[in-house]
Amino acid sequence: MFSRLKLFAMLSILLFNGNAFAQEELKIGGIGPLSGGGTAWGLAVQRGMQMAIDEATKAGGIKIGGKTYLPKMVMYDDQYTAAGGRTAADRLINADKVKFIIGPIGSPSVLSVITVSTPANVLVLSNGYAPNILKNDAKSPFNFRVMNSNVEFGPAMVKWYRQNYPQAKKVALIGPNDAVGQSVIPQLEAYYKANGFDVWKELYDRGSKEFTPLLTRMMAQNVDLFDLNSNAPGEAALMLKQARQAGFKGMIWQVGGPSVDEIIDIAGPLAEGFVSLNVFDFSNPQAKSFVDTYRAKWGDGVINAQTPGWYNGTKILFEAMRRAGNLDTVKVRDALEKLEGYDAGLFGPAVWGGMADYGVNHQLMMKFWIVEVKNGKLITRAALTPEKK
Amino acid sequence: MFSAPILGQAFVNGLSLSAIYVLVALGFTLLFGIMRVVNFAHGAFAMLGGYALFYAYGSFKVPYPIAVIGSSLLIATVSLILERLVFRWFYNKMFQSMIGLMGLNMAIVYTSVVIWDVNERSIPAAASGILQVAGMTLPTDRLVIIGIALTVLAAFWLFVTRTKSGLALRATAQDVEIAATQGIDTIFIYKLAFFVAIFMTALAGALYAQTYALSPFMGDRPLMVAFIVVILGGMGSIPGAALGGVLLGFSESFLSTFYGAAVSSFVSFGVVVALLVFRPWGLLGKPE
Amino acid sequence: MPGAAAAPAARSGRLRESRMRARAWLGWTILAVALVAWPLFNDNRFILTMGTLVAFSAIGASSLNLIIRTGHVSLAHAAFMGVAAYACVLVQMRLGLSFAMGLVIGCLASGLLALILGPIMLRLTGKYFVLVTFLVGEIIRMVFVEWGSLTGGSNGIQGVPSIHPIFDSPIAFYYLALGAAAVCVGIALRILSSEIGRAIDSVREAERVAQCSGVPVIQLKVTIFVIACMLVGVQGALQAHFLKFVDPTAFNIDVSLNLVVMNVIGGMHHLVGPLLGSVFIVSLPELLRGYVELQRVIFGVILIVVMAALPAGMVGALAWARRIIAESFAAKKR
Repeated sequence: MFSRLKLFAMLSILLFNGNAFAQEELKIGGIGPLSGGGTAWGLAVQRGMQMAIDEATKAGGIKIGGKTYLPKMVMYDDQYTAAGGRTAADRLINADKVKFIIGPIGSPSVLSVITVSTPANVLVLSNGYAPNILKNDAKSPFNFRVMNSNVEFGPAMVKWYRQNYPQAKKVALIGPNDAVGQSVIPQLEAYYKANGFDVWKELYDRGSKEFTPLLTRMMAQNVDLFDLNSNAPGEAALMLKQARQAGFKGMIWQVGGPSVDEIIDIAGPLAEGFVSLNVFDFSNPQAKSFVDTYRAKWGDGVINAQTPGWYNGTKILFEAMRRAGNLDTVKVRDALEKLEGYDAGLFGPAVWGGMADYGVNHQLMMKFWIVEVKNGKLITRAALTPEKK
Repeated sequence: MFSAPILGQAFVNGLSLSAIYVLVALGFTLLFGIMRVVNFAHGAFAMLGGYALFYAYGSFKVPYPIAVIGSSLLIATVSLILERLVFRWFYNKMFQSMIGLMGLNMAIVYTSVVIWDVNERSIPAAASGILQVAGMTLPTDRLVIIGIALTVLAAFWLFVTRTKSGLALRATAQDVEIAATQGIDTIFIYKLAFFVAIFMTALAGALYAQTYALSPFMGDRPLMVAFIVVILGGMGSIPGAALGGVLLGFSESFLSTFYGAAVSSFVSFGVVVALLVFRPWGLLGKPE
Repeated sequence: MPGAAAAPAARSGRLRESRMRARAWLGWTILAVALVAWPLFNDNRFILTMGTLVAFSAIGASSLNLIIRTGHVSLAHAAFMGVAAYACVLVQMRLGLSFAMGLVIGCLASGLLALILGPIMLRLTGKYFVLVTFLVGEIIRMVFVEWGSLTGGSNGIQGVPSIHPIFDSPIAFYYLALGAAAVCVGIALRILSSEIGRAIDSVREAERVAQCSGVPVIQLKVTIFVIACMLVGVQGALQAHFLKFVDPTAFNIDVSLNLVVMNVIGGMHHLVGPLLGSVFIVSLPELLRGYVELQRVIFGVILIVVMAALPAGMVGALAWARRIIAESFAAKKR
């Protein structure tokens, strides 16, 4: 009987003592494709978020105001569709009572999510190439984009190309006629024309993987440069391989993707000289601890290059909450907008921009890299930042 | 644009496309011709052939000719189980077969997703040279496919015209009941036809996966191609599949090269719809 | 005496039948009341969204059932839905017409297309009809994608205006969807249980015989096809306003296939079938989120089993189960 009393005493001391049990749970919502063709990107959202959450948990939680919160992820699959995003958002906001959402990544899904999140004052940090994710009449009061879209990296990359290859005259753009291709190709066309290029473009039906006839058509146009733009990694790799097999001798690069891993895998030696956008430099010494943490948790597979971007976005969100001292989304939103200069560790100090393009400064201007394939390995040619407009 | 080198290249591309299309359509039309089954799971079997080659040639590094033939034989053998379980309920029942096999397709594809995940994989190429003749280029791996297509067509023709089983196959295709009364073991013939059809489908799928990419959903396009080729050439007709494949391959090559992808798609679909409306049994098929 | 014994037996038979019908009516009324009343007790928006989407699919699946009853399986149903959706949204956004006008014009658009294509396609039987609808559906989808100046191409049309401020709340929209589903299913039910319904059955079972007995086969098929395509237009229009967004991927072959699967799994012989099917196919993936692939495998297997052995789908299986239970009870009583 005494031992039972002692046990009871110990338990009550433990229960009523210590900050360890005074922490509240803070649910952070996540939306991304976890099934179907976009799974790799959805996993990038999930894992990037989880890494930021683990870091915060290891540090004892996030101190917001006088309380400490332990973040917890609630993630749903949107199947990369508008209806899926809508359902996931409804579930997060109404069933799970979440006030902060990371993701989704496809424009139809994002556009769908913000129709429910904005009226509910829920903060969304997303990705998605469509300009009207940020550009709308309401001036996007509660959504931010935490990764570069074509509008951010396109102009800088084309300008870099023009500076490094002044003799190139004509560029070919072949892309899918899906939502991404139909949005991105006109944008790219404008950037190329502004830099003195002639542009030839052709759109194909998504699902086809045989590009040789279109590539023959392209070569009849005497182009100097072939831009793989918004093609999915598998298609981009096949296009490069088939172009080289068809005898195309001009330069091939990609303002988009990145698809470098797939291209090296599928095209092998034919990938020599391929230049591309890269959203993260895994060989950078700063990246080492990120890579090690990832590998410890999820093994040796390919790390989707968007994972660090989501980790970065989540950390920025946590910092904004900390600075606001409050979980009220209006206050966190204000703190987020004033977060310039905070360095989450991988991309340098945060910069918000986009006023000229969207009417509001809710676009994170992320550092990005231009890489080239030399002898089967990636070498970094340049590190660029989007122009803040 | 319409210069000789471009025309020549379009012709060569057309050959290479036709070879793949013919191979993909053969198994599909055989199943219809003999058993009157519209195999909506055609793409799924092609996909399985792709994975089999992935392991045989990509992982276990079996020499290529053995890998290709062996992996397709393996898929055909294993599929005999499905013949017992699923297909035999649908012989000679066209409508039920369509929906039922659609279900089989779903089951196989999503099981594959669970086993192998959705990411695209690649199979190393069989040959990496590029043939250049008179300003036209043809990658050697496409040449290999053209060779295989011709071989398979020739082998099948020989089988059907020169062997006893082949003759029995043709008899059963014409009229299963009369064939049975003539002493032909129609159950065995159906199994044989199924085996041959799946073998050809798995082979086509393996080559398709090697040329393009491998994933659980890769079969969607071969299925659509098979449909179009077989509607063009006539359901159940092997020469029809060859003709349809060649027509589709060349038209796609020339139309895409000279007029772009959109025109090519609309024209192909439009022609096939028109054919279905006015001559549903195809160019070389027989009206029912 | 046989006469004296027969009369009470006949009377008790009729009594049993009317009691069964009364019980059926009671069942349906309870269900209707439940469907209408539950949002007032539990305003979980997620379930409201589910319910709205199920109501939409009910319209599509039951209108497809009309076509299937004539003996034709259409894989282009989602494409017709899309035609109506785009028409409805475009006349509102480009011409400033009201939602009511948009709805009418949308349904007329899909009906008109059905009227043009129907006589050509419906001459084909069985597998050829399936193939031609598959191809026509693809062609229509490609038109949505390529005709960018009209449809916005693959990016679709955003910012679809709201129907009326009343319907901006999720509960109100749910009632609208429920009401529309009730009306459309009601129309389908009315057709199927009338003289026309019997003509449809005769055409499906034995077309030549029906033709010989004076049934205008091709006209009947076209009429039903047009009506069905107009009804699915209602789904297209409402869905566009619910998601506030129209894009070609909402009207592709997978959506058409889903509608067919709803019919097959639920059962094609009674209108209850597609309704049951739509509840399963739409809500199950949401409720059992972790197992989406497994569900698809199971749906596939169910399709095989239904087509091979249980043509009446789930409804048939339930009826068969009920009959077995009833028979075993009757045996016990005796």
